[in-house]
Parts: sequence; C-alpha cells; structure tokens
Amino acid sequence: MGYFSEGMSKALALLLNMDDATFSAIQATLSSTSCALLVAATLGLPLGFLLGYTTFPGKKFLRLLSDTLLAFPTVLIGLIVYVFITYRGPLGQFGLLFTLPGMVIGQSILALPIVISWTAQAVENLDRRCRETLLTLGASPSQLALHTIREIRYDLGMVCVTAFGRVVTEVGVAMMLGGNIRYSTRTMTTAISLETSKGEFAQGIALGLVLLLIAFLVNFLLAWFSDTRDEHEHSF
Amino acid sequence: MNILFEAHDLRKCYGSITALHLPSFVMEKGETVVLTGRNGSGKSTLLRLLAFLEKPTSGVLRYAGSQTEPRREITLLLQEPYLMKASVFWNVTLGLRLRGVDRKLAHNGYMESMLAVGFTDPESMASRGPGELSGGEKQRIALASRLILSPSVLLLDEPTSNVDAASEKAILNAVRSLRPRGVSVVCATHDRDVPAALEAREIGIVSEPV
Repeated sequence: MGYFSEGMSKALALLLNMDDATFSAIQATLSSTSCALLVAATLGLPLGFLLGYTTFPGKKFLRLLSDTLLAFPTVLIGLIVYVFITYRGPLGQFGLLFTLPGMVIGQSILALPIVISWTAQAVENLDRRCRETLLTLGASPSQLALHTIREIRYDLGMVCVTAFGRVVTEVGVAMMLGGNIRYSTRTMTTAISLETSKGEFAQGIALGLVLLLIAFLVNFLLAWFSDTRDEHEHSF
Repeated sequence: MNILFEAHDLRKCYGSITALHLPSFVMEKGETVVLTGRNGSGKSTLLRLLAFLEKPTSGVLRYAGSQTEPRREITLLLQEPYLMKASVFWNVTLGLRLRGVDRKLAHNGYMESMLAVGFTDPESMASRGPGELSGGEKQRIALASRLILSPSVLLLDEPTSNVDAASEKAILNAVRSLRPRGVSVVCATHDRDVPAALEAREIGIVSEPV
C-alpha cells in the first residue's frame, strides 16, 4: 500500500501547487460538462414539459423511446457522433473531432434523454389538483402552463443536477470524441484512466479527489432541492 | 324566475361507469343549495360539471341560459384543497394576480378575505408555507383564495369535512355572509347540520344505476 500513500501525498501536492495538467483537466471537464448541460436543458426542459403536459398521438411511443435512451451506452453515443464528425463524415468539414465542442455534442446527447424523461415524469407526477385549482382560480391556458412549471421548479433543479452528475463522470464520449489530448480535451475521467494505465497514481488520485468533491456537491444540491421540495409538500 | 343553472338529463360517465345521472336540476341566481347524498352518488361530479372542469357525457347544462363556459365567474373549492408551493399570501392572492391585479389591491383583498374566513391576524400568516399549516387552516386559506375573487358562483365540495370545530364555524360563517351579496352557493356535504346552518335548499342526489 506504500504506492497508494505515496500517490495520495503527491496528489495533494499537485492540487496545492495548482499543477497545470491537473487543473487543465478540471477546466476541460467543467467547461464541456457545463456547455453540454446548457444545451441539454435548453432543448430538454421544454421538450420534456411538452411530453408530460400535453396529450397527442404517439406520446406513449416517444415516452418509451426517451426512457430507453436513458440506458444509451456512452461509447455507442461516442461511436455515432464520431461517424458524423470524423473528417470523412457528413460534419467533417467543421473540424469537431478531438475538440471540446465535439465532446459537448456527445455529452449533450447523453444528457438530453435524462432531462426529457425526468422533466416529463415531474409533470406527470404533479398532483392533478394543482391543474384544477389553477383552472378554478381562472388561469388561462398559458398561465396554467407557467404556474405548472413554477410548481415543479425544484424537480427541474433536480433534473439538471442529475444530468450534470451523469455527464461529469462519464468516460466513453470524452475519450472517443475528445481524444484525451493533454491541455486540450483531457478531462478528469480520461486523465484518471490514462494515468492509471501508466501506473502513475498521483494525478489520478488528485483528479479522483476533485471528482469526489464534485460528486459531493452534486449530491448536496440534490438533497437541497429534495428538502426544499418536501418542505412545501402540503397534502392533507 | 332568474335561472342560474339548468340541467336536463345530465349524465357523466367514466368508461362504463356512470358517475352521475341527474334527470333535472334548476337553481336560481343568489340561491344557496346544499347537495346531499351517499358516497358515490355523484355530488362531486355534479360540482365539477357546474365548474366546467369537465364536460357532461350527455344531456344539457346551461349557465345563465347559455351553454358557453363562464370563465372566472365560477370557482370551486375542492374537497381536499391544493395549496401551491408558496406562501399563504401568494396562495390567497394567486387568482387576483392571474387577473392582473396589482400588489397593493391584492394586499387589501388578502386582508379582507382572510378576516372573512376567521383569521384575526392575517399579516402574521402571510409568509407561512403550506407545510406550516394545519388541515383547518389550509381549508380556510383555500376558501379565502376563492372569496378574494368575488365570484358570482361559489361551489364547495365537503368544505367542513376533516376540519376542527372552530374552522367549521369560520367556514360556515364566511359562506353564510355571501348571501346578502347575491353570491350563489352550491355546497356538497355529508354533514347533516350544514343545510340548516347555511339556511339552504337541500337537494338529494341519487344517481340512477344504468
């Protein structure tokens, strides 16, 4: 276990000394993940709301499809996007392969079903008396939709935090579409994978500690959203 | 006769189940009517139809001689009221804000309606959340959120069930005070004392099995 304790002490030194490679990986992770979440939330929250709120032919199929995509393997997403953005692919001219924007595309696709499905679920789980109450208070259709969104605001916060947690910890998309290029597209997870395979534990442990800290913050936020929502529960 | 609601051969079915079959129902403007009947007789269903929350499966329902929906004239207090995830003030004034009323006027309405349902210090209640309220307080706050709208018709579904004696008294007082103002009230209840307390016409609902 000597190499582990040695790795741990080196890891702490890397973090305290603000090691360039380590902080580059942290920065790449946070920037790509944040962008992916922004894209997924911008598209997914309205789509998920419509899926849960409205009734239309084919809704059950779309719901099933969205739920199925929750289990989409990250390497498969990586493969599909790779085919599109590789230099010979239909989007090859944009030079997205092995860049952060290329990773963002894949990570957005990973996060999108989570945001859509969970948002739809939040709308469907909302007490039906909420809708009736708003109608009996004279809400117009647009007011009804807006106040429904307001009622599930904590659930939507949980949806975004969950999607962030999923994307920040994935390896497949970042590795295949980012290419694990040092000081560019190397993320925390791909760096841990690489350093471990080289037998260099220090940077892996340092990044693992940061990843754990992020996981803790994500869970802290989830707990906060959950508690805040529960505080407002008011069924008889 | 100044007819408010008029229904003929009104039927509401959910799948193969007939929840309500009412051969005839007539109610005048300004009248207070209490609907009585066994569980499952269709009292709540009738209230939902009168509130235009649902459409009848068959039959005719007219409001003031018209079959068009009178938006914002009728309001319904559900048997188990739902309070939004917000403060008491926000909940009580929600209907006014949906109508674009400004905060100052909404505050005046808040004070009046909360006093009407028996809260002696509405200001102290304003910032409380639904989780900090008892069942009776929630029921009275939900009623206040309807009274603040000055509705033409107030529909009440079991307003005094699941509440303490003090809340029951406050609710009945508030509803009784609407009669001089010409508000029409339809109240579904199991409580045998309610018709007398509201000095109301009693209508027994007996849905005929089909």
